[in-house]
Amino acid sequence: MMRSIYLVARRDYLGYVTAWGFWLGLLLTPFFLSLGIIGPALAASQTPERYYVVVDPDGALGPAMDEKTLDLKIDVIEAQIMALGALTGDGRKTAATFETAARESGDLAAALTAAGIDPETSNIEIPDDDFIRVEAPATTIDGLRPWLLGERLLDTPNGERPLFAALIKTDEGIEYWSENVTIGTVKNIAERAAISLARTAVFTAQEVPFSILDDVRAATPEILERKVREDAAQAAEVTAADIAPTVVSVAIAFTLWMLIFSVVNYLLMGTIEERSNKIFDTLLTSVKLPHLLAGKLLAVLAVSLTLMVFWAGGGIGAMTYAGSALPPDMSEMIAAVTAAVLKPGILIPALLSFLLGYLMYGAVFLAIGSLCDTVQEAQTLMSPMLVLLMVPLFMVFIAVSDPTSPVLAVMAWIPVFTPFLLILRAPLEPSLWEVLGQLSLMAVATAAILWAAARIYRAGAVHGAGVNDVLHWFKGFLPGMGKTKAG
Amino acid sequence: MTGDPLVLSGATKTFAGFTAVDDLDFTVPEGSIVGFLGPNGAGKSTSLRMALGIMTPDAGEARLFGEKPGIDALRRVGFLPEERGLYKKMSPVGTIQYFARLKGMSANDARLRAFELLEASGLQDFARARISKLSKGMAQKVQILATLAHEPDLLILDEPFSGLDPVNQQALEDLIRDQHRRGSTIVFSTHVMEHAERLCQSIVMMARGKKVFDGSLEEAFGALGRRVRIGVSGGFDLSTALAGAGYAAAPDPSEGAAGWWHIQLPQGRDAQDALRAALAAGAPISGFAPEEARLRDVFISLAGEADAAMADQPGARSTFAGAAE
Repeated sequence: MMRSIYLVARRDYLGYVTAWGFWLGLLLTPFFLSLGIIGPALAASQTPERYYVVVDPDGALGPAMDEKTLDLKIDVIEAQIMALGALTGDGRKTAATFETAARESGDLAAALTAAGIDPETSNIEIPDDDFIRVEAPATTIDGLRPWLLGERLLDTPNGERPLFAALIKTDEGIEYWSENVTIGTVKNIAERAAISLARTAVFTAQEVPFSILDDVRAATPEILERKVREDAAQAAEVTAADIAPTVVSVAIAFTLWMLIFSVVNYLLMGTIEERSNKIFDTLLTSVKLPHLLAGKLLAVLAVSLTLMVFWAGGGIGAMTYAGSALPPDMSEMIAAVTAAVLKPGILIPALLSFLLGYLMYGAVFLAIGSLCDTVQEAQTLMSPMLVLLMVPLFMVFIAVSDPTSPVLAVMAWIPVFTPFLLILRAPLEPSLWEVLGQLSLMAVATAAILWAAARIYRAGAVHGAGVNDVLHWFKGFLPGMGKTKAG
Repeated sequence: MTGDPLVLSGATKTFAGFTAVDDLDFTVPEGSIVGFLGPNGAGKSTSLRMALGIMTPDAGEARLFGEKPGIDALRRVGFLPEERGLYKKMSPVGTIQYFARLKGMSANDARLRAFELLEASGLQDFARARISKLSKGMAQKVQILATLAHEPDLLILDEPFSGLDPVNQQALEDLIRDQHRRGSTIVFSTHVMEHAERLCQSIVMMARGKKVFDGSLEEAFGALGRRVRIGVSGGFDLSTALAGAGYAAAPDPSEGAAGWWHIQLPQGRDAQDALRAALAAGAPISGFAPEEARLRDVFISLAGEADAAMADQPGARSTFAGAAE
């Protein structure tokens, strides 16, 4: 038995991995994935510096905008510190230290150092100066018009540049002039600066001490996130170990989804090839049908695992090579993730879900392929399957924002979604009866689907049943559609 | 595993109300070459697929070497299906090796055997080419080689001559004889009776899902009886003239055969006796041709003209003209 499964799996596997399409996918998928991840950051870093001028007789608006520009950068860096700190539990303290230092010195790199973060080796990125205020070459809109239209260029430290926007303070308000009406960053900074200036003016007029804002800030209690633990003696701070299970379960569920989604073509094309090449009869006199199906599923699983091993190996290699890109606390994060993966409450349901989920969907795709002579025919039957497959992907997004959602709890009992949702809900440590119940239901459904798939496969392979037979079969269940016209 | 290589007992298969095979019984004795004859749609392929366990009979049963057709029994069988196909991206050597290994051969033995067969067939230069790059005839040869690579005890060939040019048809006939000399039992289906005449010791004839004959070639020809063809001129009625002498005569319905009659020879009389009787009856003889019995004639007499015509349809596969495409 094992021999024939091995031989079928081996042939199919070698058939797939020696095809140029496999290598194309192997190489291009990480490329496009990287492009998707790096692209936005690359686009941001490639944004040209834009220059603006402020015409303000009082001379207060320009410096206030400089201050707000710095505030924005501080906010961006603080968000990065908080994100990294979420894994170690000291993000808030580090961010506060950074903010104080940044406001005192205005030097963001020095402020990071003061907060204990090496700006050279850490993953924290200091935002570029995308919008730079320069001295106005004229004080009226008529005078500035040639610069704003690009007819004349500003003389900047980076060479001659066009003028992006001009803010002119008048008695009626602050006029914002620019040829580009889609990028509103400068306008937003001006609004913040104007609010700040107005607040200062009103406080001064009302003789309210400006320090009152600092007092309010100081009096605001900090929200300290703590995790309730059974052992009260354990530290209650939320650390990487607390977050890792959720991260791991989302990653596994997404990987399973990716795996199933990516193997669709392999399973379909392989079976369509056999049907269109009329190999079934020869195969079925050499190997039992269940062994043939098992070999095929195994081959495609091996192809997927090969892809993943290549990609993971490449990723680790790239990260190791670019060692400076690793955050200093990566080792702690890796340890936490590894511990989460090895946790029996996650590992066992994940493995079982992975296996049963793959078998369940893989068998369906094999059955569909056996009914089709062409890819076009397969697409007819695949459309509802692809829609069905999109549902778990949405569930992944829900789980990221709210793993306790009742929607997830209910849908976890629907066998076709259980493989994903059981994994996603594992960090919540659902009760044993719930896990066993869902696993059992999924196992029964998988067995039923495998049984049905084998019968459909046999119908397609042996009796030449096709897409139209399936459509007729479905029509038989619809009122008025399965009947033959009399006469 | 002992017993006759192939036995079908009361095998019946129905598809959506249409009975493709109806209560079929036949046995293939060890060491024989059996021709499975009949026109397209007679139920030959369905019968063979039931015999191999690809399809389950609705009634009756199939046995291979005394057992139900499971994988162990099938390891002793080589099967060339009617609808031929191979993995187009595989090489001939890979294909033969793969199917031989599925039949239980070791990797090394299967590889050596594949090269040996390809060399014997003159395909050694294409051993590692993709199947998709081979001509249709070459690909068909590869499939035939894959069928017999594991030296099966029973070789079942469904329309094996289909798609082959005359030279390769002859080569395949030689190959079948070689396999028979090696000790293999052979069953092949065809609707081209000439192949069966040249190769078979016994035949099974089918028409419309039913067996119409099962026996040796001699028995088949015996069933038809011997005939002679006599031509007469002037619209002479030979049937009436010979009736008194105990001969049954019927006009030849073939086109361009006006004035020719078929005369059935009774037991103990020969063609010369019939000629003498015609002369004695005053028939103006214009031609005389003793007839050698052909399987087609046997089939016509057993299954009727309509089924024989189906076998000879221009669209029917494996006619000689079609094979040379």
